[in-house]
Amino acid sequence: MTLLLQVLVDGFVIGALYGLGAAGFTIIFGVSGVLNLAHGGVMVVAAMVAWMVAGGILHASLLTGVVCGVAAGMVTAYATYYLVVRPAQRSRRIPDEEREIFILTATLLLGIVIQEGIAYLFTSNPVTVPPLVSGVVHVFGVRTPTNELLIGVISWVVLGLLWLFVNRTRQGKAVLAASINPHGLAMLGFELPQIHRLVWGLYGLLGGVAGVLLATFEGASSGLVGGLTASAFIIVVLGGLGSVPGSLVAAYVIGFMETVTAYLISPAIRTLPGMVLLLLILYVRPQGLLGRR
Amino acid sequence: MKRERLMQWLRSPRLWVAALALVAMVLLPLWVSEYVLGVLTIAYYFGVFAMSWDLLFGYAGEVNFGPTFLIGIGAYVSGMLNIYTSVPMVLCIAAGAVAAVIAGVLLALPALRLRGAYFGLVTLVSVLILQTVIVLFASYTGGEIGFSVPSILSIDSGVNYYYALAFMVVSGMVLLAVARSPMGLILQATGQDPLGAQALGFNVTKHKLAAFCLSALFSGLAGALTIFYLGSVSVNTVVDLAVTVQIIIAAVLGGRRTIVGGALGAIFLIVAAEYLRPIGELSNLVVAAFALIVLLFIPDGFLGLFPRREARS
Amino acid sequence: MNTSARKTIWTLGSFLAAMVLVAGVALVAPAAHAKTKAPIRIGVIAPFSAIDGASIINGAEMAVDEINKAGGIEGRPVKLFKYDNHASATDAVRAFQRAVKQDHVVAMAGTFISEVALAIEPWSARLHTPFIVTGAASTKITGEVHNHYARDKYVFHNWLNSDFQGRVVCDFAKDELVGKLGYKTAVVMSEDAAWTQPLDVSYLKCLPKAGLKVLDHIRFSPDTNDFTPLFNKVESEHADVIIAGWAHVGVKPTVQWHQQQVPALLAGINAQAGASSFWKSTNGDTEGVITGTAGVSGAAVTPKSEPFTKAYTKRYHTTPAYNAYSTYDSIYMLKAAIEREHSTNADKLVTGLEKTDYLGTVGRVKFYGRNDLYTHGMEYGKDLVQTVVFQWQHGKQVPVWPHRVSLAKLEVPSFVKQHVAMNR
Repeated sequence: MTLLLQVLVDGFVIGALYGLGAAGFTIIFGVSGVLNLAHGGVMVVAAMVAWMVAGGILHASLLTGVVCGVAAGMVTAYATYYLVVRPAQRSRRIPDEEREIFILTATLLLGIVIQEGIAYLFTSNPVTVPPLVSGVVHVFGVRTPTNELLIGVISWVVLGLLWLFVNRTRQGKAVLAASINPHGLAMLGFELPQIHRLVWGLYGLLGGVAGVLLATFEGASSGLVGGLTASAFIIVVLGGLGSVPGSLVAAYVIGFMETVTAYLISPAIRTLPGMVLLLLILYVRPQGLLGRR
Repeated sequence: MKRERLMQWLRSPRLWVAALALVAMVLLPLWVSEYVLGVLTIAYYFGVFAMSWDLLFGYAGEVNFGPTFLIGIGAYVSGMLNIYTSVPMVLCIAAGAVAAVIAGVLLALPALRLRGAYFGLVTLVSVLILQTVIVLFASYTGGEIGFSVPSILSIDSGVNYYYALAFMVVSGMVLLAVARSPMGLILQATGQDPLGAQALGFNVTKHKLAAFCLSALFSGLAGALTIFYLGSVSVNTVVDLAVTVQIIIAAVLGGRRTIVGGALGAIFLIVAAEYLRPIGELSNLVVAAFALIVLLFIPDGFLGLFPRREARS
Repeated sequence: MNTSARKTIWTLGSFLAAMVLVAGVALVAPAAHAKTKAPIRIGVIAPFSAIDGASIINGAEMAVDEINKAGGIEGRPVKLFKYDNHASATDAVRAFQRAVKQDHVVAMAGTFISEVALAIEPWSARLHTPFIVTGAASTKITGEVHNHYARDKYVFHNWLNSDFQGRVVCDFAKDELVGKLGYKTAVVMSEDAAWTQPLDVSYLKCLPKAGLKVLDHIRFSPDTNDFTPLFNKVESEHADVIIAGWAHVGVKPTVQWHQQQVPALLAGINAQAGASSFWKSTNGDTEGVITGTAGVSGAAVTPKSEPFTKAYTKRYHTTPAYNAYSTYDSIYMLKAAIEREHSTNADKLVTGLEKTDYLGTVGRVKFYGRNDLYTHGMEYGKDLVQTVVFQWQHGKQVPVWPHRVSLAKLEVPSFVKQHVAMNR
């Protein structure tokens, strides 16, 4: 019984974090058709800056650290868009039919640049952002760090705000429309560049928050860039590219599978069942769980 | 007619430049240090990784994030055979290559139904799974640390250099011949317009599978040879995603859809790493950033700077 | 194949070959003037971007600078060549080849990753160049020397292998955990890597002898991010202490142990906790963590330990990690071996190193002989190398064992069961 509760609590938090990390990734795909393989870089840059400001080097307040970290995530997202993605989208030298794989490769390389840059500046050893709150609480008898629960709650609050933004504001609706049909939106008089600016900022925000939260819980290091990208990639494809609800479902499927595996079998093969499931699903239903295409 | 073409061919200055340069490559061991040979040996094997990758990326239009799945299978199967059985080294290497092809077929059969990012993801996941399995069975595979193999190709740098050079030249010629054959053209057509190619009656899947098998064969072979050159096999030499990234950088730098570009990029990459050694940890960053710039501004790579004679349709 | 295609191939081929040529000529050029005989060339290899890697380089740098200031080795200055292996076996092999064939080093020291050490080992044998491993813990390194002495005799392992590290922890546990705190039970929790296999064998054998019943033996993947399931398991088993075998991991499990307030003491080998920057990386969550290491500020293991720690800290603004000590000592051992044999010839150096009996910063160093199980490995013992066990107390690494270097008593963190001795 305790075991079940532990799995539930742990899975709730992990799933929420995964969902938050993947939400931005899938929105970007929906609107720009871009799979950003430097995704882990956005998260880790945010985490590292938050650590630098609040923890290890500048000793500022935690709030300052979190704000700076999230801002750094947004800067990284914009840099990805303006320095890599847009040039690749506009280059006349790249044939149209190969644009997709060029952007995949270019963002992958950017991810390496970010990873190596972090390793150079901060060494490759992991760091942790100070917990938002310390101490532990008892949830149905399971002792859980308060910070861990708070991470889960914050993740859901941010996801809720995202939902409100997309469904209740004019700009948000434009983003939603753009993800369905960018050209139609342009015909309706929306400025697509403006939408892109908005979406990449939103993406940086989500990735930044996810990165900082992750770093208060599990820590972050340069070596995590690739793994975080792969994990978001897996979740987003499992849920169906471009579908935020799909990503959330997939995040929880993966989160709980990993947690159950870690508790019942061994943490060593934690990620294995998720990957095998992904392969099976891709073979049976390539558009993912809730995907449209 | 035939004679005329031959004469024309013989008059071409490129032929003489090429021949001269090839002779120089063969004679290189006469006047460079053993150390340079060592660097180039690695570069040549790496060149085969990159050329095999280019057959899929450049021609079939498939971004394969899992070349190290094939390389790793080839390396580990041959290495483990060498350590646990008394099979001669040559057979170990052959077995590694066969295993890579079998694994490649198992992966490709279903994966080739997928396109673009989905294919990329499946190949990426295959590497992650292989890595997990290797770590999981650490008592047999050496886990994170890997193991040293009892046999090596040769201690002599010159001999190793010639093995690698011959292997690269032969692989390059086979891969080029395939790429320039009708099959290569069909692959190229399917990469650019899969539906159109299918409509023209080509069996797209069959050709892609053949390309994948060929890529697997040379990747596996190169993986096996690399470990018998290095004398050790480990995850971060032949399986890690960092190796994949290096392969992609090499192929992109050299120029995609050229095959030879892969070898060129690999040599550039490995030699550049030697020059960048003084800047230490920054060297990986500089190389990746440079590749990114090349990708964005000269997407055809180094060889793209030399316009081809034949008209591109 | 049509003519134009053939032409293209030839163009490409010629371009490729020309590049190789340029590369070859360019690379060979600097080697030409590298023939001066004066300095003794020594190499050091490590991944620069890791804390434990930088400390290897720094340790070697300090030894070389000191030796040169004091007149060099037999009147010849020492020139240090540094190689970044990027924690990769391939990069390490290439660097080693470069060191020997291009830079003409007489010996190489460094590396704390067993994988990298094992990849270099055959090359050290093939190129007949002594290689002193100054970190790493796999028993395979010396096992190879034992099994293939004639071939692999060039390799020395100047750090305690995991078998001995296990014994250090057990000896400490017997004196302190069982003897003073009255602990009775432990859970062994090691990362799944080859270096921990002999470590765990050692733990499982000697912990019960020390008086700690091993309730569980957990091995986890070094990629693990979330340790909650493991710590929950430890807690449900009511273990008094977690005996760790961690080197690839460190920050994550330490922080989560603290945040989750796991009611068991954290001791054993937590290699990353040996660096002073570990406090910053964990935001102080390492408070109360106990680990074995080579040396630590304030621990006068030998008369040389303290001066080294102080000088290092002054120069690099961080305290040395364990392998800074062993690398620093290694350079001095090389110096002694060269002076003993009056030669830098590889085989003579091996003979010289085998005669090593050197009082360094980590203890009195001798190497096991040809017929011992761990040929060319560092000898373990009370009067030889025993290392130090320290605890993070109030932001400082405080030596707590062995008795002669200990500066304070163990402190039990508030969330760990306090009164074990009284309860039972």
